[in-house]
Amino acid sequence: MVKKLIVDPSKCVGCRYCEMWCSFVHEGVFSSSFSRITIVKDDRIGLDYPIVCEFCEPAPCVKACPTGALIKGNHGIIIVNEEKCISCGNCVKACPYGAIKLHPIKLKPLICDLCEGREPVCVSKCPTNAIRIYPIEEIDLSINEEVFDQAYAHALKRHKELMKRWGIHVK
Amino acid sequence: MSSRLYGYAGKILRIDLTKGKVHEEPLSRKMARAYLGGRGFNVRRLYSEVPKSIGPLSPENKLIIATGPIAGTGFPLGARLNVTSKSPQTGLLGDSNVGGHFAAEMKYAGFDQIVIEGRSSKPIYIYIYNNEVEFRDASGIWGLTISRAYDAIRRELKDWKIQIALIGPSAENLVRFSGIFFNVYRPAARTGLGVVMASKNIKAIVVRGDGYVEVAKPRAFETLVEEIEESVYSHVQYWPRRIMGTSRILLAANRLGFLPAYHFKKGIVDYAYCVSGERLAIEYNVKNRGCFSCILPCSRFYVIREGSFAGTYGEGPEYEALAGLTVRIGNDDLNSALKAINMINDLGMDVISTSEVISWAMELYEKGLLNKRETNGLDLRWGNMDAVFKLIEMIAYRKGFGDILADGVIKAARKLRKGLDLAFHVKGLEMIQADPRGLKGYGLGFAVSSRGADHLRSEPFIELSDNPEIGRKLFNEPEATLRLGTRGKGRLVAYYENWCAIVDSLEVCKNIAENMEILSFDKAAKLINVVTGLEMSASEVFKVGERIINIERAYIVREGVRRKDDILPKRFLREPIDRGPSAGQVIELNRMLDEYYKTREWDPITGIPTIKKLHELGLHDVAEDLQKHGIKLSKGLTYK
Repeated sequence: MVKKLIVDPSKCVGCRYCEMWCSFVHEGVFSSSFSRITIVKDDRIGLDYPIVCEFCEPAPCVKACPTGALIKGNHGIIIVNEEKCISCGNCVKACPYGAIKLHPIKLKPLICDLCEGREPVCVSKCPTNAIRIYPIEEIDLSINEEVFDQAYAHALKRHKELMKRWGIHVK
Repeated sequence: MSSRLYGYAGKILRIDLTKGKVHEEPLSRKMARAYLGGRGFNVRRLYSEVPKSIGPLSPENKLIIATGPIAGTGFPLGARLNVTSKSPQTGLLGDSNVGGHFAAEMKYAGFDQIVIEGRSSKPIYIYIYNNEVEFRDASGIWGLTISRAYDAIRRELKDWKIQIALIGPSAENLVRFSGIFFNVYRPAARTGLGVVMASKNIKAIVVRGDGYVEVAKPRAFETLVEEIEESVYSHVQYWPRRIMGTSRILLAANRLGFLPAYHFKKGIVDYAYCVSGERLAIEYNVKNRGCFSCILPCSRFYVIREGSFAGTYGEGPEYEALAGLTVRIGNDDLNSALKAINMINDLGMDVISTSEVISWAMELYEKGLLNKRETNGLDLRWGNMDAVFKLIEMIAYRKGFGDILADGVIKAARKLRKGLDLAFHVKGLEMIQADPRGLKGYGLGFAVSSRGADHLRSEPFIELSDNPEIGRKLFNEPEATLRLGTRGKGRLVAYYENWCAIVDSLEVCKNIAENMEILSFDKAAKLINVVTGLEMSASEVFKVGERIINIERAYIVREGVRRKDDILPKRFLREPIDRGPSAGQVIELNRMLDEYYKTREWDPITGIPTIKKLHELGLHDVAEDLQKHGIKLSKGLTYK
């Protein structure tokens, strides 16, 4: 089943504990620049937002790769073939969410692998449950707007946005 | 055995602004073992490199920033840093500790310590990216408030990942209690370090790094972190701290009667709830925010939702700011207190010292010792916030009466030739928001603290337990852990001073290391070894704390401090608290001081460390240096 990381920015406190443990689990050392998850911050206005791989379908990063080093593996996860990779950075530029960066030393793309089937460490370590993992199951909530009124249609539109944040994938 | 030092970045960055030169020095293993990091590294360097004759605002003074081996790892609540210099506020030891994300970024850039010396000929900001250092023109941002300068620098460098240490207009105007602010809301505010930065013509220090931190024993480290996580999440104080941070203290202090209300005239007020952390949580707070790698994110982002300040937002306030701009100045209106705190921070001042100069002036005004002519027409009655707003601006820009207060309470009293007994400070540093008559160990801590009237050098929180059994067990004296007791307080304060010095050098948060008692001494020793690979014994780690306290003491002794300076303002020694649960109390300082020096094995008459003690701690050079300055050291002491 396809799974996806869901973030709740109202819960994120910007501590970057996820970045630390993502880096440690994958690279064996602690570094913000080695992490596959990135917290965008602006302290003045209280902005803390976790940038995660959105597992796009089709994936712009895969399409942008000139050597075929990126492929879609099981469960929609991007697999990086480091031998084929020429460190051109096209995938970094292609990602619409800014969720890919190059490893500062190896210069290979750092892309979320959902911790290869274990519970993702960003999910398990988050102190406020701001990141969760959900199966993607599409729910059909399309309604005929004529059944109800404008008020209902407007409320439902906003509720769908909220449901998306909860991790419920709405058609 | 590998001689590699894990945890540490391994390098020190030295920046000479006069020559415009930069160079790197290796961090020695010996230094790491003897002082651990942060506060310890800094005071050791200050002692050696900033001798007695140096003026705090001269180019020869140094601004030193350091963190410890833990910052930048995934250890929870462990990424703080210390800023140290000769203080322009006290002329003695200037030192302040701060959280945020700067420390970790500094490590990723490759540095454990940054030493800034000399003076730039024009306003600049320093941009450190990995091992490259650039001096950039700051003429366009000089004069900007903290939040505006933060925005401007991020835009200019086109990078939101940078961490910034910056000063506000108050520091530029040499307001003596101006701090250094880390990304807007995290000030290293005490002892006037922002003024040192301004004197060197530095508006900001920007740091960014792509490096990493490696620990010596990754598996053991993971296990230790899991243990800490479990203790934090299951702790009874977890939710109160996460919901309210330190703002929760205000109601508790009111319950126990040690609030600094009306400039320490009253220990309790009848409007405590109106200005409490509880009310902030219910009516103002919108989300939490955390320091780097923190799992107990206790900072709160608030929004004022109604009234004339509607739309005002920011982070905090912590207890010190909250009590300072409410009860200390007799203000029962939370909205205007938040607005005032916001102003003080954005202008770049220390909120504790600001609250003292304002409440001091208010008490003089009430007593008829100050009149409207002297205050430039300001009606300084208790809680008059319109006047307070004006006064804050006048202090920051040194206008009229504000110019007098801008030098700090003791200098203001001397200049006006009044209110000297009412100037609440120790060694020139204004007092924090707790009445020592209701917390005697804290009182002793204020008196002996190496940076002046401050609780964070000792934080003997355990006396708040009021449990004699703990005192009997730890200090062989039941009174040691009774908040109104006096016996055993010397031992209590000395013990916690040593421990705080270790914590401030490891740069771990006092929430877990102190108040919540999660990072015990044994765990800290284990943490050091797991991270650094230094293999230090527990007794060796304990000596680090004592060594730091002794070299700090030696530093201020060299500047002229003696036992007579370990004193509290008269009100606390002579006037009993008028009402509430601490009614009738004064503080019996001398008796506690005798015990303190005895515990420290310092000369009880002069308060100077003995040769025996300095040698025992490996501070032979310090002993020699003090003697070179004509300071007589006792060999060793025998107590009856």
